[in-house]
Amino acid sequence: MTPNVVILCAAGMLVSAYLMVGQKSLFTTIRLYGLQSLLLATVAVAMAISDARPHLFVMATMTTLLKGVAIPLFLMRVVDRIGIHREIEPFLNVPASLLACLGLTVVGYRVSTGFPEGTVGVTHHVLGIGLSTLMIGLFLMVTRKKAISQVLALLTVENAIFLIALGITSGMPLVVELGIFFDVILAVLVLGILVRRIVDRFESMDVSRLSKLKG
Amino acid sequence: MTLLVWTLVVPLLTAALGGVRAPRKVEELVIVSGLSVTFGLCLATAWQFLNGSMPAAFNDALRVDGLSALVLVLCGFIGLLSASYGVGYMRRNDARGLVTPRMRQEFSVLTPAYVFATLLVSVSNNLGILWIAVELTTLASVFLVAFHNRDTSLEAAWKFLMLGSLGLGFALLGTVLLFASAQGVLGEDLSALHWTQFMAHASQLHPFTLRLGVVFALIGYGTKAGLAPMHTWKPDAYREAPSPAGVMMAVGMMNAALYCLLRVHLISKAALGPDFSGGLLLTLGLLSVLVAVPFILIQWNLKRLLAYSSIEHIGIMAVGIGLGGEAAVFGALLHMTYHTFAKPVAFFSAGTLAQLHRSSDFTVIGQGTLGRAPIASGLLLLAALFVTGSPPFSLFFSEMLILRAGFMGSHVIATSVFLGALVILFCGFAYQIGRLVLGDRDPEHTSTVDPETLDWGVGVTLVAALLAIVSTFYLPGPLLGLIRAAAAVVSEGA
Repeated sequence: MTPNVVILCAAGMLVSAYLMVGQKSLFTTIRLYGLQSLLLATVAVAMAISDARPHLFVMATMTTLLKGVAIPLFLMRVVDRIGIHREIEPFLNVPASLLACLGLTVVGYRVSTGFPEGTVGVTHHVLGIGLSTLMIGLFLMVTRKKAISQVLALLTVENAIFLIALGITSGMPLVVELGIFFDVILAVLVLGILVRRIVDRFESMDVSRLSKLKG
Repeated sequence: MTLLVWTLVVPLLTAALGGVRAPRKVEELVIVSGLSVTFGLCLATAWQFLNGSMPAAFNDALRVDGLSALVLVLCGFIGLLSASYGVGYMRRNDARGLVTPRMRQEFSVLTPAYVFATLLVSVSNNLGILWIAVELTTLASVFLVAFHNRDTSLEAAWKFLMLGSLGLGFALLGTVLLFASAQGVLGEDLSALHWTQFMAHASQLHPFTLRLGVVFALIGYGTKAGLAPMHTWKPDAYREAPSPAGVMMAVGMMNAALYCLLRVHLISKAALGPDFSGGLLLTLGLLSVLVAVPFILIQWNLKRLLAYSSIEHIGIMAVGIGLGGEAAVFGALLHMTYHTFAKPVAFFSAGTLAQLHRSSDFTVIGQGTLGRAPIASGLLLLAALFVTGSPPFSLFFSEMLILRAGFMGSHVIATSVFLGALVILFCGFAYQIGRLVLGDRDPEHTSTVDPETLDWGVGVTLVAALLAIVSTFYLPGPLLGLIRAAAAVVSEGA
């Protein structure tokens, strides 16, 4: 049963990444990110049970609490205070973006077959999805204009890396994982503060306006 | 606690104390004395290493070998130097009413925190901890870039954070892949990410996963080092950051990032042979040197000019390491050491000029600064001789070592291109600085200039210049010993 849960949840993560690409409302995008993190936590729990790796429970709990709840709430508060709720037209329109992401998914699956564990079974899907989500996150980062959307893209990339780590290793050592969590929280706080400073200063969080520095 | 742990605890304590609201004099005393003690402890740790013991802590997660000891000492030195200059910098800005007490407090927390992070990078033997420490350096420096809270500083800070985080994302993926390549060989606990373990079991690592991991890790840490084409944050960040923080980024962070690149390169070298990551480093390094050429020639801002020079220098070091062989590696590490001594002079004197003219743009400063601020201009001229690698100054020798090794090895064409770029860069940089310092003053140019006084900041610049000159002609025996030990680690992997 558990392999199916793993594949289902991983696929859910990919779907949420696609939905993010098609979304313009910032609140919905943040919720999608929260959902994606919860799915990642479920993958970790399923793997912890099936492979008897208890330390993955810690990771799942942290993921749920921080990335599933705390970070989305914090980002929603930032968006609420700023009072800007929608992404403006991205650099590439939605249908074209979705098509590009489809291509990226194919590439992600292709690359995953090079790994020793990556040709068959659950790992094949987890790796393929992880790499695809990673590339979709990068794609979001370059095409979005609002500061918060870029932060969400970065966090998606980070979720994808965790999924890949779950797929090809038995999870990173606990100390390292905790350190990474700590850094992610700090990074989100720093980003939040910076976004508010930018908005105070420019009365907008359109980062394409940050274009004075050249040469 | 061991000496090594204290080396890391003291800067952290300094940062914590810096957060306490105190009169200016007390704050200055805390930051300078805290970082002096830190530098002393770095020296003591390195001394311990030179005397044959290998300082380590937390089950070998932190461990000082030759390479670590060298980078540790250099980072400690830069931390002390930039904090000392920072005192003068803050005093000047204070006199102009440009800093609030809150900004001063921010500075005295973030600088020691930044030093702590670079020191942690330089002693970590564990790839996971290495990543965490590099991320900490990024987070500590973001608000230093945004320090002046201008439109442009926020823009620079945003780009810095976004590119830096993206780079670190790649580095994390690289770390995960490296860890994965050792699945079933090294176990699952913390020690499985130890660099020493990777080196000991290099032949058993899975090649495909390892290759992918090495590429991602090199690109990721290369972003932090400022290797082209991931260098674009550098000019913006250097221009906006206050000059003391600029030095931390240009030297402390660069040395730390080079340390990360070297660790990854060594794993790859032991498992896949020298050509894979060596070739990658050579390519990126050469690209960095080439990218710097046009931007130095058309540059319009003094601090951005320094940023492109620093892209050039990380390129030179990467080329040295990429060429491989004992001589080139020794040249690269020597270059790192000399660069650590030379770069602060450039930053500090440029910072003084920028402060006096209240801008670092060439058009605002105007030509012929020698008449207005003779000491800072003279020092900038001296620094230009250093960083362009003119004889008889130190960086000339390290560049010659690398070039010689390159022409004797198998990469003759790459070395020729490299030499050509270096010559153009020399001319471009000398032209820009010469025009700025010695040019005729435009009679219609009226910029308000504050008179230059022999204050604390200028004093620190003079000391830095003196150290740079001395290091050219005389490297103390123990420091040379550290460079040799580091070169031995890099070329023999021991």
